[in-house]
Amino acid sequence: MSTAAIEARLTRLWETPKTLLGFVGTVDHKTLGKRYIITALAFMIIGGLEALILRVQLAHANNSLLLPEHYDQIFSMHGSLMIFWYASPILSGFAVYLVPLMCGARDLAFPRLNAFTYYTFLFSGILVYSSSMWEQGPNAGWFSYVPYTTQHYSPHMGMDFWNVALLLLTISTIGAAINFIVTILRHRAPGMTVGRMPLFLYSTLTASFVSLFGLPALTVANIELELERRWHFRFFDVAHGGKALLWQNTFWFFGHPWVYIVFLPATGMISMMLPVFSRRPIVGYYYIAASTVLTGLTGFGVWWHHMFITGVNQLAMSFFSAASMTISLFTAVQVIAWIVTIWKGRPVMTTAMYFAVAFIALIVIGGLDGVITAVVPVDWQLNDTYWVVAHIHYVLVGANLFPVFAAIYYWYPKMSGRMLNETLGKVSFWLMIVGFNLAFFTMHILGVEGMPRRIYTYVSGLGFSHLNLVISIGAFILAFGILLTLINAIVSLRIGAYAGKNPWQADSLEWSTESPPPPYGSVHLPTVTTRHPLWDEHDEEEDPEGERILDQGRCTFSTTWIDAKPFALARMPNDSILPAGAAFWLVIAGYAFVFSHDWYFLFFMLLAGATVAAWLGTPAERELP
Amino acid sequence: MSSPTLSREPPEHRPLVEVLDERRGTFGMSLFITSEAMLFALLFGAYFFLGAGPRRWKVDEPPKLHFALPMLALLVLSSIVLHWGDEQANKERYVPARLALIATMLLGLLFIVLSYFDFHEELRSLTPRTDAYGSIFYTILGTHLTHLSVGLLMMLWVLPQLRPGKAYHNVSLYWHFVDSVWVAIVVVLFILPHFGL
Repeated sequence: MSTAAIEARLTRLWETPKTLLGFVGTVDHKTLGKRYIITALAFMIIGGLEALILRVQLAHANNSLLLPEHYDQIFSMHGSLMIFWYASPILSGFAVYLVPLMCGARDLAFPRLNAFTYYTFLFSGILVYSSSMWEQGPNAGWFSYVPYTTQHYSPHMGMDFWNVALLLLTISTIGAAINFIVTILRHRAPGMTVGRMPLFLYSTLTASFVSLFGLPALTVANIELELERRWHFRFFDVAHGGKALLWQNTFWFFGHPWVYIVFLPATGMISMMLPVFSRRPIVGYYYIAASTVLTGLTGFGVWWHHMFITGVNQLAMSFFSAASMTISLFTAVQVIAWIVTIWKGRPVMTTAMYFAVAFIALIVIGGLDGVITAVVPVDWQLNDTYWVVAHIHYVLVGANLFPVFAAIYYWYPKMSGRMLNETLGKVSFWLMIVGFNLAFFTMHILGVEGMPRRIYTYVSGLGFSHLNLVISIGAFILAFGILLTLINAIVSLRIGAYAGKNPWQADSLEWSTESPPPPYGSVHLPTVTTRHPLWDEHDEEEDPEGERILDQGRCTFSTTWIDAKPFALARMPNDSILPAGAAFWLVIAGYAFVFSHDWYFLFFMLLAGATVAAWLGTPAERELP
Repeated sequence: MSSPTLSREPPEHRPLVEVLDERRGTFGMSLFITSEAMLFALLFGAYFFLGAGPRRWKVDEPPKLHFALPMLALLVLSSIVLHWGDEQANKERYVPARLALIATMLLGLLFIVLSYFDFHEELRSLTPRTDAYGSIFYTILGTHLTHLSVGLLMMLWVLPQLRPGKAYHNVSLYWHFVDSVWVAIVVVLFILPHFGL
């Protein structure tokens, strides 16, 4: 059979029809990955606009643009959207797109689960955002401390929306984590042993395990709070033996590992592109892989450092303080490996490299001001000031937004087939880095001077006014920089230069496919003999017998998890609208619950379950004519 | 069960391996169970956290055992039956496998009935609104009962399948998990309070 005939056959097998049913029902990880990324970016834009409104309000003293209750709702939505509906889903988006391509597999292990987790993520975001239609947004910040969030003090529905939306999001996140773990441990290309895995796979795998163990804590916290709000349970009611600290413990048991869920995959992306632009293999591969895993593990032992002012006992504080400082060692190992990689290499200063280098600088600053707050007495002084706001933005923007923008510049050619404009990219970069530091470095000073966080205005004469104005100007410069990249991405879709297969001469498997990749990925599923498949002499698609075409159905290889020997063929399911349907019934059940229609809630939950059963029961394979 | 192979010959190319991967779903189910186990671990954590400290909650009388222990016996028996059924399904003897499934479901339903009487009795002296102890006690029992009902629904889904080998195995894993959670509940919530713990 000629190559063209094989390609036509594979296309018939894997292609999604361009119809409405195909649009809703596609399980193609490339389509879903792009949707994840675009949806998360949309939530980021909304959250960013909210931040700008807040900064206008705070730009000078005694401002009355926003009422206090509106300010509370906007900053809570800003925090919740950015942390839950942008920071982690955007990384899931890149992972959904890249993990199968890097593994050399034809799709994720559970393609329909992938569609389901995407729609659940989308709908949960719409659910939490629709609370503003009733003017009852959540208003207790992104960690919603009790007792403020109990029925007595927050009688409106905002917290119910927040709880239910987060419960849906935990379902989505755990589903995605299971999908990544099974894909990475079971469907890597033949020969891709654990010592040859791209570092992005290590970081995604670690973050997925952290999700698997950490997210249930958020589920428990949400269930307890909702039971307390709806049916007056006594978890947090001190008069009846409850403890407010139960919320803080449960939430932060999830909350701190979450920091690594939104941080580790970003470090993985940096470890992928730094060596490419430094024109040499990464320095200390095993050390980076090990410190990634150790960061994930240690991340479960630091949650009390969010609670140093709550009067926990001395010994426990020492333990959590020590663990918090230990975890910075693992990040330091990675940082040094990155710096040495650049140092020993011959760096090519593309826009992606600019963002990657800026990330290293920002994570060092953000990491150091974190170490400072890990010292208990200093924490007592700085807690609930703008110092903490500065720290969270350095680690979340510096260690998530900057790597994500690096990743956009790096992988956009693969996803769209076109290059982004480098000049516009560098202008965007300089605006972002200047605006970011103007806004958030200044917050450190403001915090030391004693400005508390989460106040809607301040009186003049305290010395806060000038610094706040600087922060607001910085925020607008940062926003303008982000806007330029978004414009760049939209315009380059039409007029960007063609990318070709491997515009950066990169080493990992996703660059061996066309840009954008055809629905089936590679014609011959690749094999791997070294850590840098595209940099060595081995032809990863060399397959004269056609043993690795797999054109007898939607199939990919299952390989052993350590040494990646193929042992079976995994059949992949066909497109289906049922996963989207299940997610839809789930969110309708969520609405029913928020509005206290308990029987409708039960009915739609059962309907969602029945839809899942139907999706698992429908024949999986597409037959060839 | 002999490993199934592709029924249709590949038209042109022989693949590198021809055995089908039958255990991918089991892997996914194990990870799901891990996450669910974490959920219960955190609920037990909340139980001990609420009970710790100088102002330990007041439990007038420890929960009674005369329902919890028979319920434990029911679930242990159901796990044994279902495991036997799983082995039959593995050998493609689907009739005994289905009978085992039905027996397990009946035992599960009996568990729900006993739960009803147990709740009825406990609620006389303790409600979820009495104090934090009541809240966490009923939350743990309720969460377990929800999981058990989901397990029953899963079995209802397996029952009519023609060749339920894979699905049978995965659902039985889930059922064993639900049963082992009940063992933990009986030990922590029902037996330990009798020793003042």
